[in-house]
Amino acid sequence: MSTGATLSGCTSGAPATGMKVLRPEDVELLRALIPAVMKGKITPDDSAAIDQTLESFDTLMDDLSDLVIEGVQQAFDVLSFGPTRALTTGQWASWSKASLEDAESALGRLRDSRIGLLNAIYAAMIRLIVSAWYLIPENAATAGYPGPPKKVADTRPSAGPIGGVAP
Amino acid sequence: MTDLSTITLGSSTDPYNDAAARGWSITDASALSSPLELEADVVIVGTGAGGGTAAETLSATGLSVVLLEAGPLKTSSKFDMQERAAYRDLYQEGTGRGTKDGGMVILQGRSVGGSTTVNWTTSFRTPPETLKFWAEHMGVSGCSVEEMEPFFEHMENRLNIHEWPEAPNPNNAMLQRAAEKLGYSWAKIHRNVRGCLNLGYCGLGCPVDAKQSMLTTTIPAALNNKAKLVHHARVVRILREGDAVVGVEAEALTPNVRSTTGQRITIRATKTVLAGGAINTPAILLRSGAPDPHGRIGKRTFLHPTTLTMAIYDEAIDPFYGAPQSIYSDHFQWQGVHTGPINFKLEVPPLQPAFAAGFYSAAGEELTRSMDQLNKTQCMIALLRDGFHEQSQGGTVEIDDRGRPLLDYPLDDYLLEGVKRAWKVMVEMQFVTGAKSVRPAHKQARHYTSWKEAKEAMAALEIVPHKVTVGSAHVMGGCPMGDDEARSVTDCDGKFRHWDNLYVMDGSLFPTSIGANPQLSIYGLVYKLSSNLAAGFRA
Repeated sequence: MSTGATLSGCTSGAPATGMKVLRPEDVELLRALIPAVMKGKITPDDSAAIDQTLESFDTLMDDLSDLVIEGVQQAFDVLSFGPTRALTTGQWASWSKASLEDAESALGRLRDSRIGLLNAIYAAMIRLIVSAWYLIPENAATAGYPGPPKKVADTRPSAGPIGGVAP
Repeated sequence: MTDLSTITLGSSTDPYNDAAARGWSITDASALSSPLELEADVVIVGTGAGGGTAAETLSATGLSVVLLEAGPLKTSSKFDMQERAAYRDLYQEGTGRGTKDGGMVILQGRSVGGSTTVNWTTSFRTPPETLKFWAEHMGVSGCSVEEMEPFFEHMENRLNIHEWPEAPNPNNAMLQRAAEKLGYSWAKIHRNVRGCLNLGYCGLGCPVDAKQSMLTTTIPAALNNKAKLVHHARVVRILREGDAVVGVEAEALTPNVRSTTGQRITIRATKTVLAGGAINTPAILLRSGAPDPHGRIGKRTFLHPTTLTMAIYDEAIDPFYGAPQSIYSDHFQWQGVHTGPINFKLEVPPLQPAFAAGFYSAAGEELTRSMDQLNKTQCMIALLRDGFHEQSQGGTVEIDDRGRPLLDYPLDDYLLEGVKRAWKVMVEMQFVTGAKSVRPAHKQARHYTSWKEAKEAMAALEIVPHKVTVGSAHVMGGCPMGDDEARSVTDCDGKFRHWDNLYVMDGSLFPTSIGANPQLSIYGLVYKLSSNLAAGFRA
């Protein structure tokens, strides 16, 4: 849906259905990139795993600051907007038509580019995607990580509102 | 190590759960439905190493103190050692903070206790080389080793800082073993803990209040002394009458700390202390239009730019468990204090999985196959000592059109040469201790299976920003203290040079980086400065 949009049109998009921050174009892009970044963990036809990673990614985005979210969205825009997408990643068709090989090739071009901005976009994308995936506790277990100690449930009220408004 | 997921921790002794019974005044500004106005002898902006120390010192003399914190109040009974909640609640911008061009990730705390709530407890006095350099080259007086001694000693006693007596975890032990094999100097790290269970979750908020952070020590003490704490309150600007500062204006933030609620908070105070850390403190001065005739505010901001190498061994390392930092090496740290190529300190980080994956700088099977062996992975970090050599001028804190802080700190050739040299040292250290494969934090690198292969491959890697991975957990400078008016933002008492009643008391005072993890440097200096400020009130 981004092919006919202008760059400014891309940035103004509302979140996709069911998402807090990710826009429809972002979801389409990430559906293509996630199986490439998480190769060995997620196959392109494993839509449940991709959906779960997308949801985790969206939650992670929502936990960032507005300043950082704006920066990530600008990176998404470069990769989604037709002309810059083709120029920077070699992906001429929309991301919904990208194969695993297309996505791997696109990531390789961003990583190996001599343009620092594209290297920076690559760095941000892989950090966010891998973080989103390993933030899911059952995925962290695949790293040989048994998880943290358990805590006795604390039923006392949280510290937040105690003390009330100071006089 | 033992599988810690099988143990259950007892309920914590979280003092904040009894805040009402203790008579503590704590205000959650996100819940305000009308403007809040308070008056105090001193308003302190920030509750980290600087703000916490100043709050205890000043309130102990009977002065009325208001503490403002932009972040939330999160305390030990809610610390569950899960990465997601910790990164969301306890770090600036949800760990998304970075330099302006994205070249470095900046890990900085943002909750009551500031970075002390999430740091790895490593405690060094300011190195003598650094104090000497400040005295001889940066116009700093009153901060010699001898003059600082009583202040460090006081804070070490206050925070139970002592050499960690337990065996290092395997991640740290490998640094010791490698140093011994190669004849590099190494030593044990001092930590600010009391009753530490050696779990390894310092970076996610100590679940048992063993870490002697500001959250568990000086802030409770200040609250006992009738200080008032307001959290979810971000300072917008300094309030003035002529050249006299009379307090600060803040805005209340929503519970998730992303937006403002629209409620105003006004604190009128005899003295105002800025302790928001080395990004937020210069930003408050810039937003307030503070006079800056020599263009010093926010300049010379330092990071200890830090890079890493990951190594996979045949044996269990379990780098996610155990005291995160217990061994260090300064073998490459003081080869030339301010001459020659950049020097670095060697340490190791804790590797909880999302953190490790995020800094691996890899994707695809290069990442996932490596991460499958995280329990056998050892990580070395090199912290580059920036700000001493004339080629190392650091970065610049700016504000954008909405007043939000940005740190512009390009990775220049002087730093990048240090990154490359540090990789060689660390990769060799890992191979001599039996690593099966080692990978430097470069986006195009692979796991190399021999020292020879690694040396050749690293020589061919393009060492440029974004391709190398560099991060920081130590933000310093930007409001340097000193006796030379043209080169400093404050005098050596931390008093701002161009307005009355305004002080800086945090790591932004440092005229260079520290050359060691900075928390104790901040504690000692701020204890000195806040003691002087308290004495001035009595005079």
